[in-house]
Amino acid sequence: MRHARDLSRREFLVRAGGTAAAVPTLSAILDACSKPGASVSGSEALQIARPDNPVTLPMNGEPIATDTPIEQGATIQILNWSVYMWKYVINQFIQQYSDNGIKFSGISTFNNMDEGVQKLQSGKIQADVFFPTIDVLGKLVAADLLQPLNHDLIPALAQDNWAAFQNPYYDQGWRYSVPYTIYTTGIGYRRDQIPDEQIHGMDNPWSILWDPTYKGRVGVYPSYRDVMAIALMKNGITDLNTGNDADLEKVRTDLLAMIDATSPRIAYDASYNKLQNDKFSVTTAWSGDVVAGWSYAAPYTEAAYKGFGYWFPADRKGPIDNDLIAIPKNAPHPRLAHEFINFWISFRHAMDNFSWNGYQPPQTKADINTLTQTEGLYSKQSSSWAAPADYVAPWMPDAVVRESDFGIGYREGPLPPDVDDHWHQIWSEFTAGVGS
Amino acid sequence: MSVPSEAEPVRRRLRRSHRATEEGIHYSRWFWPSFTIPASLWLAVLFILPLYTVVSIAFGTVDPIFRGPLPVYEPWWWSGKQFGRVLDESFGLYRHVYIHTFEYVVIASALCLVLAYTVAYYVARYGGKRKTLLLALLIAPFFISYLMRMLAWINLLDTEGYVNKILTFLHLVPHPIDWLSGRPSTVIMGLVYGYIPYMILPLYAFLDRIDANLLEAGRDLGAGPARTFFRVTLPLSRPGILAALVIVSLPMMGDYYTNNLLSGSPHTTMLGNLIDDAYGSTGQGPRAAVYVLILMVLLIIPMLYYLRSTARSLLTR
Repeated sequence: MRHARDLSRREFLVRAGGTAAAVPTLSAILDACSKPGASVSGSEALQIARPDNPVTLPMNGEPIATDTPIEQGATIQILNWSVYMWKYVINQFIQQYSDNGIKFSGISTFNNMDEGVQKLQSGKIQADVFFPTIDVLGKLVAADLLQPLNHDLIPALAQDNWAAFQNPYYDQGWRYSVPYTIYTTGIGYRRDQIPDEQIHGMDNPWSILWDPTYKGRVGVYPSYRDVMAIALMKNGITDLNTGNDADLEKVRTDLLAMIDATSPRIAYDASYNKLQNDKFSVTTAWSGDVVAGWSYAAPYTEAAYKGFGYWFPADRKGPIDNDLIAIPKNAPHPRLAHEFINFWISFRHAMDNFSWNGYQPPQTKADINTLTQTEGLYSKQSSSWAAPADYVAPWMPDAVVRESDFGIGYREGPLPPDVDDHWHQIWSEFTAGVGS
Repeated sequence: MSVPSEAEPVRRRLRRSHRATEEGIHYSRWFWPSFTIPASLWLAVLFILPLYTVVSIAFGTVDPIFRGPLPVYEPWWWSGKQFGRVLDESFGLYRHVYIHTFEYVVIASALCLVLAYTVAYYVARYGGKRKTLLLALLIAPFFISYLMRMLAWINLLDTEGYVNKILTFLHLVPHPIDWLSGRPSTVIMGLVYGYIPYMILPLYAFLDRIDANLLEAGRDLGAGPARTFFRVTLPLSRPGILAALVIVSLPMMGDYYTNNLLSGSPHTTMLGNLIDDAYGSTGQGPRAAVYVLILMVLLIIPMLYYLRSTARSLLTR
């Protein structure tokens, strides 16, 4: 059931203009003929969530009733990042609800959060479940694009998931979101070229991305927040949301110096493909990418699996984050969406999905020993792998995220617009090779 | 070839009108112009309105919540702040990006021309009965998407790819070359490979239409093959060369994918990459739109030159 809403000016402009080059109707153009921003509201009320400034998001309506029946014959609609969900596990869900005639036809995907939000906003995709990042959660609620969750229908959160996520700082009382995956941002490296002892013995391992020894073999993500966060960490600056000009100038200087020092290349698959296939020696890396990397390490031999590693500070003081699952306001099957979320964050299914995508769920039963000593379902299922591949390779315990990390690590949160523009300016200079 | 007198168009019009009257056909004065209506509507809807939206974004603002581009359609509310900032950067911080782009496009277009001209010349002059087959082979790359063709080159240019295998086998290089490590030469090669089919076809179309009698006349007057080519074929194919250069160099100027796939290095960033980066960044939509407008202005210059040259060659015909 779609919730009817009036089209505000802001919504119209975003839909009609934006990047879609859609042709607006005359009446909509006339509606828009007032001073830009004059009727915009909501942005003033937007609070920037930080661990030391937790945010309780406003309730936009009530959650669905607990006795709402499961929609019969529904096709579950999923809007998610590409390559982030194992279809095998989705089919398990479909099987479990076969009595209700539930179907699955495919996942609608996006390549970055802006694209995902745009798809949600445009209404072209009416998703039952959406996978936002923390920085857009408050904005989605302010724009009335999400619906509150019924906690009674998602008991798996309390049963199976870490206490840290029962009342997260970005969504006090988890009104709109549950955690999907957790990850750290560190350094991926080729163990045959950079022994474990070498990187762990360095005074400042973040600086390895600037080491000319690896010139032409350094990869960085096309993600301004994460790469700049690493530059901040290299300089010992732990506020990963800093707007301080002096801090950002250090980042700028360092990033431009990196171009000359190591000729980095910008690649999405830096740490889950190019590192494994020896195109890069060292990369910026999300722990989940490196953990999943074994299935990209052709020719799928044990030696190939052992060829790469992951470094994160031993004191666990580094960038850490988590992604979310939420239900859009216009979800066609909200009850089914609750069932799906509960299924997805329950222990068995969360772990099966983890075995495929490499991104760890915050499961209480999944401690570091379990994860580094247990073969995952994805590895078990295929005869072409050099099995067994554990959830996390035993030689990279740094890639396992612990619950305590969320009290120690540094979070990337939303930035105020002027600060965000400053960050973008620096990133733009880096990608344009200014001064190189 | 004689330059037509000013009276000639009038005579032609009279002749046409006379014939139409003789045949008993009378057209209203709007009959022929009305043929342009579909194309005009097409342009208005699919070009002018989107272009106006881009201008409205460039001079507009961003959504205060999601920071997506917020076009301002009313010119009286436009802000030139973003435009001024991007222009400043274009002449300062990012000047080298414009220079790179210009260099890559000029070199790639020149290489395309040399390669495409020889191929098109061969097919047009010596294709004989195999012309159709050769043309089909020339069109064949169009059946594979540009992206797929570039992805294929990633494998070919890999340090363990066939290009390096052949080069090292022939002892042309002592060690495999890391072509994908952010080399301008690789980007230029990618541009040449990606766009060359678009140059061969128009060149072939022009060369094939050159009257063989003119070439024979050149030879009869004592010119050798080379002189005939440089004095007859090449001047006659000049409009085709210009058209082909415009067809490939304009999209090359805005290309970003070739660079992303074959380099990914900040060293080889092109103007298209600046647009792509800004377009994909939260809050940077107006900036991307300004770059698009700058690129448009830059592209108008060769386009005007082409139109002027074409008009002049029509006059002298």
